[in-house]
Amino acid sequence: MSNKAIRVLLVDDEPAIRRALRTPLMELGFQVGEASRGEEALQLVRMETFDAVLLDMNMPGIGGMQTLIRLRIFAPRLPILMLTVQDEEHDKVQALDNGADDYITKPFSIRECLARVRSAVRRAQAPERPEDAPIRIGEIEILPTRRIVRKAGHPIRLTPKEYDILYCLMRHAGRAVTSGKLLTSVWGADYRQEVDYLRTFVRQLRKKIEKDPANPCYLLTDACVGYRFAEEVGFLGAADTHHPDDHYLPHS
Amino acid sequence: MAFDRTLPGLLSSAIALQGGWWASFPVRGWILLALVLWIAATLYLNAHTGFSRNQRKSKRTEAENVCELVRRAAHLDLQQKPGPQMASLIHSIFGVEAVAIFDGDLDEIYQSGKWFAGLEDTIRSIFIFETVRDDPEMGLIRRVLRVRNLPIGAMLLRGETSELTANNVASLLSITFDRYHALASEMRMENAKKAEELRTTVLDSLAHAYKTPLTAIRAASSGLTEMGHLSPAQSSLVALISEQTELLNHLTTRLLRTARLERQSLHTEPVAIAPLIEDVVAGAREHLADLSVKIVLARDDLTIFGDRGLLDAMLTQFVDNAGKYARSGSTVTIQAAEQSAEVLLSVHNLGPAIPAEDRERIFDRYFRSTPQHHAPGTGIGLSVAKHAAQAHGGRVWVTSDERRGTTFFASLPALRQGGQA
Repeated sequence: MSNKAIRVLLVDDEPAIRRALRTPLMELGFQVGEASRGEEALQLVRMETFDAVLLDMNMPGIGGMQTLIRLRIFAPRLPILMLTVQDEEHDKVQALDNGADDYITKPFSIRECLARVRSAVRRAQAPERPEDAPIRIGEIEILPTRRIVRKAGHPIRLTPKEYDILYCLMRHAGRAVTSGKLLTSVWGADYRQEVDYLRTFVRQLRKKIEKDPANPCYLLTDACVGYRFAEEVGFLGAADTHHPDDHYLPHS
Repeated sequence: MAFDRTLPGLLSSAIALQGGWWASFPVRGWILLALVLWIAATLYLNAHTGFSRNQRKSKRTEAENVCELVRRAAHLDLQQKPGPQMASLIHSIFGVEAVAIFDGDLDEIYQSGKWFAGLEDTIRSIFIFETVRDDPEMGLIRRVLRVRNLPIGAMLLRGETSELTANNVASLLSITFDRYHALASEMRMENAKKAEELRTTVLDSLAHAYKTPLTAIRAASSGLTEMGHLSPAQSSLVALISEQTELLNHLTTRLLRTARLERQSLHTEPVAIAPLIEDVVAGAREHLADLSVKIVLARDDLTIFGDRGLLDAMLTQFVDNAGKYARSGSTVTIQAAEQSAEVLLSVHNLGPAIPAEDRERIFDRYFRSTPQHHAPGTGIGLSVAKHAAQAHGGRVWVTSDERRGTTFFASLPALRQGGQA
């Protein structure tokens, strides 16, 4: 993906942070818009086109969370990445549940920031993928039409709930999925708080799909937030055209 | 319980019944108590019909004076020391020639009226030797002040008053001193709590304020690297900036976390060990970059009744520590075992040994072990781990030698069936 294609709106009330991000981003070919408050960001997004928004969580005025909620109303597919600090897990979860695409914990490196932005933009620009389209990431392949999962070509026996968890995570590969969202999606809203329940299933799932469950490389934990399926390779389908390195596995 | 019908008897019974809640005894309660005492005194006097009319009148006056003292004592300003106030009250209400009170806790003497030389030694000796014998010739009345049978001070009166009244006054003094000390202790605790809250709030704000410049420095230095065009020397310096920013960030995060942990009260719930370990390992990935992690569980459903945040902080500290000191490429083993009613958590790494003399002290705040294997740190983390284990009624310790490596242990009460630790 070319950097030139990406227009980023940088929203942070701290001029030093905007400056430290703006300079390398522009140098690396991004187009950068800036806002120091949420209200200003809402106006800019209405007037101009952006490919992604880097939105600080803690700002004066309406703040990051409220800005996110309002942005989502008229820009449902615009990738929004929240800039948070560690120990604000509750805010991270709330932001993801309110539609943020991802979060970046301050302080972060430009490399990490660029990777997250590119990944979010790539996902947003990929055509809508049919729900039953097969997905392959690394050695793990899931075939929704037949509820089959394979690891390096060999079928893996999963319980229905394990399958549902894996499918939900792989469908959103690269994105943090909150525990609450996973629980609601797999068990229903009544189970939203049963985080230990989910952890037990994730442990079982890791034993089946990971080479070393203690050092997972697919099913990653976002501590105190939820889980994230690694985005090692892209989805099957049109997304592949953007990623020549991705390994395409023909539908069997 | 059988009650003594004398006034001191009633007072002592009340003290014995109520223990230490005098400090919070409401004013209305004191007035009620005074009324009860007055009635008791009247009953007592009526029961002693052998007295002459004048004697009965005198006794009644003394009983009324005691009630007045009780009433006034109930309204004392206990922000101030009660000794001077009580000495003055007793002097004026009972019309004795002089009053002296010794507060054993504060080692202070308060007096009202004219006293002879050597008063200090006399009143101290009453307290030390528990001398309660009166001296009618000198007109001296000696009493030891007691709370729950322990001497806390002494009273010396000069002038005419009955033994019964002296006993009542001494009992009331004891109660008042007890109230004062209980209130003072409560205020000290309250002040200490406020100071602690202020300290943690300042730490919290500082740690947050640090994040902005840290973010700018990290983004700027990593931006320079990403943009390229740097000479090897420039790259090296930029890498140093990035590395030290990371260190400063780590320290700030620790500070923030410590401040929050110390401020929060324990929020207990059943905490499953296996996912706890997984979360900790996920959070400590950076510190375990070139190491393998092995998790060994006695049972998959091992559970502790505790505070998830504190347990996470404790285990994170152990794992961070192992990551910091483990030999490159070695394995860090995290184990959870059951031992009777306890869950034993341990984190093992191969690396330099901790000297025997440091093994207890490394859990003390700000203590850092010998610098032979220098690694960045504040000396706060392991004290947080100790604090966290103790808050759960558990303990921490470490074993270490060059050959077998270093293992940090935490022993915590296990969750029994029925949901209690």
